[in-house]
Amino acid sequence: MRVSLRWLKQLVKLPSDIQALTSRLDLTGTAVDAVIPLGDGLEKIVVGQIVERERHPDSDHLWVTKVDVGNWALGPDGQPERLQIVCGAQNFVAGDKVPVALVGAILPGGLTIKKAKMRGIESRGMNCSARELGIGSDADGIMVLPAQAPIGLPIAEYLELADTVLDLEITPNRPDCMSMLGVAREIGAVYDEPYGLEQRFAEPPRAGQAADLLSLQIDDAVRCPRYTAQVIRGVKVGPSPQWLVDRVTAAGARPINNIVDVSNYIMFEYGQPLHTFDLNTLVADSAGRRSIVVRAAAAGEAFTTLDGVRRELDADITCIVDGNANGGRGATVALAGVMGGLDSEVSDQTVDILLESAAFSGAHTSRTSRKLQLFSEASARFERGVDPETCLLAAERAAALIVQVAGGSVCADVLDLYPAPLQLPTLKLRGQRLAAITGAPIPLAEAASILQRLGCTVTLAGSSGSAAGTPADTPADPAAGAPADPAAAAEAASLDVIPPSFRPDLTREIDLIEEVLRIWGMEKVVASLPGGRGRLGRQTLEEERRQTIGQSLRACGLNETMTYSFALDGDVEKLQMGFAADEQAVQLINPMNAEQSELRRSILPGLLRSAAYNLSRGVADIQLYELGAVFMIGESEKLPREPDHLAAVLVGSLHPPAWNQTARAADFFDAKGILDCLLDQLHIQKTRYLAVADASLPWLQAGRAARVMSGKRELGWLGELDPRVAKKFEIEAAVVAFDLDVQALLNASQAMRAYLPVPQYPAVQRDLAIVVDDQVAAERLEQVMQSAGGALLADVRLFDLYVDEKRLGAHKKSLAFSLEYRAPDRTLTSEEVEKAHEKLVSKLVAATGGEIR
Amino acid sequence: MKTIDELAEAVLPRIAAAKDTAELEHLRVEVLGKKGSLTALLRGLGQLAEEKRAEFGQAANSLRDQIEERLAERREHLAAAELEKRISAGALDVTLPGRTNTVGSQHLISRLTEEIVNIFRGLGYSVEAGQQVETDYYNFTALNTPPDHPSRGLQDTFYVVDRSGAQAAISGESDVVLRTQTSGAQIHVMEKQRPPIYILSPGRVYRRDVADPSHLPQFTQVEGLVVDKGISFADLKGTLDYFCKQVFGAERLTRFRPHFFPFTEPSAEVDVSCGICHGQGCRFCKGTGWLEILGCGMVDPNVLGFVDIDPEEYSGFAFGMGVERIAALKYNVSDLRMLLEGDMRFLRQF
Repeated sequence: MRVSLRWLKQLVKLPSDIQALTSRLDLTGTAVDAVIPLGDGLEKIVVGQIVERERHPDSDHLWVTKVDVGNWALGPDGQPERLQIVCGAQNFVAGDKVPVALVGAILPGGLTIKKAKMRGIESRGMNCSARELGIGSDADGIMVLPAQAPIGLPIAEYLELADTVLDLEITPNRPDCMSMLGVAREIGAVYDEPYGLEQRFAEPPRAGQAADLLSLQIDDAVRCPRYTAQVIRGVKVGPSPQWLVDRVTAAGARPINNIVDVSNYIMFEYGQPLHTFDLNTLVADSAGRRSIVVRAAAAGEAFTTLDGVRRELDADITCIVDGNANGGRGATVALAGVMGGLDSEVSDQTVDILLESAAFSGAHTSRTSRKLQLFSEASARFERGVDPETCLLAAERAAALIVQVAGGSVCADVLDLYPAPLQLPTLKLRGQRLAAITGAPIPLAEAASILQRLGCTVTLAGSSGSAAGTPADTPADPAAGAPADPAAAAEAASLDVIPPSFRPDLTREIDLIEEVLRIWGMEKVVASLPGGRGRLGRQTLEEERRQTIGQSLRACGLNETMTYSFALDGDVEKLQMGFAADEQAVQLINPMNAEQSELRRSILPGLLRSAAYNLSRGVADIQLYELGAVFMIGESEKLPREPDHLAAVLVGSLHPPAWNQTARAADFFDAKGILDCLLDQLHIQKTRYLAVADASLPWLQAGRAARVMSGKRELGWLGELDPRVAKKFEIEAAVVAFDLDVQALLNASQAMRAYLPVPQYPAVQRDLAIVVDDQVAAERLEQVMQSAGGALLADVRLFDLYVDEKRLGAHKKSLAFSLEYRAPDRTLTSEEVEKAHEKLVSKLVAATGGEIR
Repeated sequence: MKTIDELAEAVLPRIAAAKDTAELEHLRVEVLGKKGSLTALLRGLGQLAEEKRAEFGQAANSLRDQIEERLAERREHLAAAELEKRISAGALDVTLPGRTNTVGSQHLISRLTEEIVNIFRGLGYSVEAGQQVETDYYNFTALNTPPDHPSRGLQDTFYVVDRSGAQAAISGESDVVLRTQTSGAQIHVMEKQRPPIYILSPGRVYRRDVADPSHLPQFTQVEGLVVDKGISFADLKGTLDYFCKQVFGAERLTRFRPHFFPFTEPSAEVDVSCGICHGQGCRFCKGTGWLEILGCGMVDPNVLGFVDIDPEEYSGFAFGMGVERIAALKYNVSDLRMLLEGDMRFLRQF
C-alpha cells in the first residue's frame, strides 16, 4: 500500500521526523517496506519564459526559441543569458512560462539533456511536456505554466511535486489499512491524535430516479453481501484536474480520465473499490430500464476483461451480468471485485454512468484472482474484506466528486441491496487475561483507550458508563467506583468491546489483546523466561547415534551435503533401480519443473549430479555424503513412508597429492574401510559384506558390489558404480558409492561394549602364506582360521595379497596372514603355539584346498 | 714387563686418537678380544717363571683395567659427538607441509540446525521431527489457516497425488502436501501429549519458489512450541532474545515487530540488530539497522482448541525460523543455491 505523506498529512497529524514515524509504524505492526521520495530526479528542470519564438529555417514544424531561465544560464559577463532551445511543440506562444530541462538534467524516463544541434541549429535544453516530467499523461505539447510562475524556480518546488511515499506492508488481517483513511486512523491510534477526511465535496445537483433506469438483483448473498448503484448522468469525460492526477499517481495508479480517476481516488481514500459502467452500453428492456444481476458465472462461459484478454470462467467466479442482454438471458459485464469488461468501460463518449459500490466475498475474489492470474487494487481489497457498512458513504462521496470534476447530475435515489446486514459481536476483554497473555502490566484503562482509538466501542463491564465515542473521548476508568483493593479490582475487571465494522478480524478476546499489545508497545514488555516445572532438555540415544554417524564419516574424510528431495522420474531408470509394488514414487501435482516431478526414492542420483557438477568445474576429488529422507508410497496409501538413508559417493583421491603422499583414486576398499569405521563407531556387530552375484544391484559394477550386513540384517549396499551408469550421469571417472538404511543402522547399533581385561601375558606371532584358487574368499579363510585356532588365536590379520600367474599359476592367489596366539592366564610355551598353529594350518589346507608357501 | 709397557705405549695413544666408535671397537677387539694382544700376553703368563708371574700378572691386569677405562671414556666422548652429528644431520625443513589427514566437513545447514537445537535443548526442549509429506489438515487447517488462504494455493504449496482415492476436501486435487512448515509435527505432539510441552521441530520444508540467490523451493526450518501454564509474551521475548544472543553474539539486540500469522496471536516478527553496522544502517541491512530472522507469537487459542487443550488453563508460544536465512546472515552466503549444489570448494570451507 503506497501512502503519500502529503496526502496523509491532510487526514492526521504526523510527526515531523519521518524516520520516527516509520520506525513507530514498524513497531506497531505496519511494516514500512520502502520510503520513496517523489519529485527527486527533477533537478535542473526549472520554470523558464519563452521570450522569442521563430520558425526553424529548415523545418516547417520546429521552432527556435529563446528562453529566460534566470540565473541558471549566465553569459561570459556573468549576467543572465537567454538559452536557445529548438522545440517541436505547437501549443505555445512567446511569453509563455514552461518547464525547461537544462543541459545535464535527467528526465524521469532516463533521457539526459545534452547540448545538441537540431537541423543545424544549436539547442541548449528542452521545453518539457507533463509526460516528459513524469507527472501526467499529456504529451500533446509542452506544459504551459500559469503566467505568475517565478522564472528560475525549480519545477519540483513550483509544482510542489516533492512528496514522500511510504510503501506499507499491510498484513492480510487488516483490510482497514488498505486505505488512506485506515492508515490515518492507525496512526491516530498510535499517536493518540484525531483523524478524519479533509475535503468535503459540495452536494451535487440531483435529477431523476435511478430506480426508473435500473434494477438490481443479487442471486447469492454469500458472494455479494451488499450491492449499491448510483446513476450519474450528463458527465463529460476528460482529463482530471492536477490535484487528482497527483493523488492517484502518488498512490501508484496511472491517471486515465476524470471518471476512472475519481473511482480510484475514492478507493485509495476509503478502501472501497468502485466500478463505473457506461450505463448506455448495458441493454435496456422495452421500458428503457437496465438490469444488473450478481450471480455465479456459468461453467464454460467466456468473457473479455478490459485488458482485452478473453477468459474462461467457471461457477466459482462471480459475475456482474447485464440482465437484459442476450434476449434476456444475460451477459457478463464484469468479474465481481476483480475487473470490468471491455464493452462496458467508460470511454470518451460516455455520458451516463452506473457507479457500483459493493461488497464481494473475499474467498471468491481471492480464488478468482489466482485462477485467472488477475490481481488488481480492487481484488486486493475485496480479498481482505471490504466493509459493507461504508459502501454507500464511499459511493456518495464518489458521485459528488464525479460531478465536481466531470459535471452532470446524480439521481436522487440510490439502489441498495443489503441482504445480510453485518452483525457486530460484543467481545469481553478480561484484565486478568490481558495480563496473563502479555506478561505486561497494561492498565485496563489504557487498553480501553487504545481500543477506542482503533474505532471500537468500549464499555467497562459491570458499570453503566459507556466509554464509546470518538477517539478524543476520555476512556472509561476501570478503577472508578472500585472496591478497596484496586489491584484485585483491575484483575477482576473487564471491558465489553464492540469492534468497528471495518475490523472483521476482531472476533475474539485474543484479537483485542493483540491490538492492545501492539499499540501499547511490544518493546515495553519486560523479557522473562518460562519457569515451567518438570521438563528436561534431553538428547535421545537415537539423536546421539545420528550425530555419531556424521562424526564418523567426517572423520573419514567425507563431506556432508544436501541435495533436492525432488527427483526426475528417469533417475531410478538410469540406475535400473527396482522397487517393490509398495515402493512407488510420490508424484507432485504441481512441480516447479519436469526435473522435480516426484520425490526421490534414492539419494544416489542427487549425489551423482553433485559429483558431475564438481567434475565439470575441474574438481576431481569428491567425497560427499548425505543423510536424509527418501519417499516411497504404496498403491492406495495417502502418506508415504519416509525412511532416512545415508548415501555417499567417492570420486578421485581421498587426499590431495603431496610431496610425502601419493594421490590414488578411491576404490571399493576405501569405501569399505569407511563403512567399517562407521559400523565400529556405532558398535554394530557381526558385520559382513556379501558379494552380490546376481543382478539385483544393476547400477553397480558386477563383481564390485556387496550387501552390507549385520548378522542376518541387511543394512545397505556398497560398490563401484557401473561405468555405463556413471556415464548416464555425465561422469567418466570411477565412482564408489554406498547407501545404508539409517533405521537399520540404528537398530543394529549396540549399547556400549563391556570392558575386557587388557592382556597380561605376551602374544606369540606366526605368519602364514597360503596359495588358493582365486574363487576362495578371504572371508572364508579367516573363518576357517578363527574356528581352527580356537581360544588361543587372538587375532588374524591379512597383510599381503599376491597374484602372479607365472609363479603361482592361473587363477591362483597368495594370501599372507599374521596370526597372534595368546592365552589370558599364562605365557604360552612354544610347544603349545606350535601345536595350535600346525592344527590351524592343516585344517586350513584341508578346508580350502590351498597350499602353504 | 717390557712387553707390557710397550703394549701400553702402543695402545693408549691409539685409544685417544680413535676417530669413531667403530675404530674404538676394532681396537678393543685387537687388544682385549679373544685373540687380542693383551689377552695373548695374559695367556702366556703360564710359561713365565713362577716368581715373575705374580708381578707380570698384576701389571697386565692393571693395564687391562686402564685400557678398559680409557676405552669407556673415549667411547662416551665419541658416542656423544656422533649423536650430536646425527642430530644436526637430521634437521628438517619444518616449513614443509605435514602429511595430510583430510577430515570432512559438516554441511553449513545441518551444523547450524544442530547449534540451534542445542541452544534450545539447554532451555529444556526436546526434538520432534515429523513427516515431510503431510495432510492439509496438519499443515494448514489445524494451524488455523483459513480454507481460502493464498498459502494453500497451487501457486505457493506443492501438492502430491493422493493415492488413497479420497476426495480432496479443501484445495481441489489433493489433501496431501509437502509441508510448508514444520508446525505440523507440533500438532501431532499436542494430540499425543498433554502440557507441559517444550519441543523443537527442525526439518526440511517446501514452498513453490523458483530457486534464486535468496529463495529455494526446499529449505530448512526450525520451529519451536511451548505450551504450559502461565506462559506469556514476556516469556517468548526472553526466550528468543536469549536465542539470538547465543547464535549471533551477546552484543546483538532484538526487536519485536507485531505481525500476522494464522497460527499465533499476538504475532511478531523478530529482527536482530545488524552485525555489520551495529544498528546504524548499512547496505547489508538495507539501511534499517535490523535483520529479520524469525516469526513468532502466542499460540492461537483456536490451535489449542484443535488439539483439545483448554486455552483458559494453558497458554503457549511458537516460533519459526529459516536456517538458510540465518546461514546467509551469519556467514554472508550470497547465493542460497550453493547450499544444494554440493560444490566441494564450498563445502570444504565449513
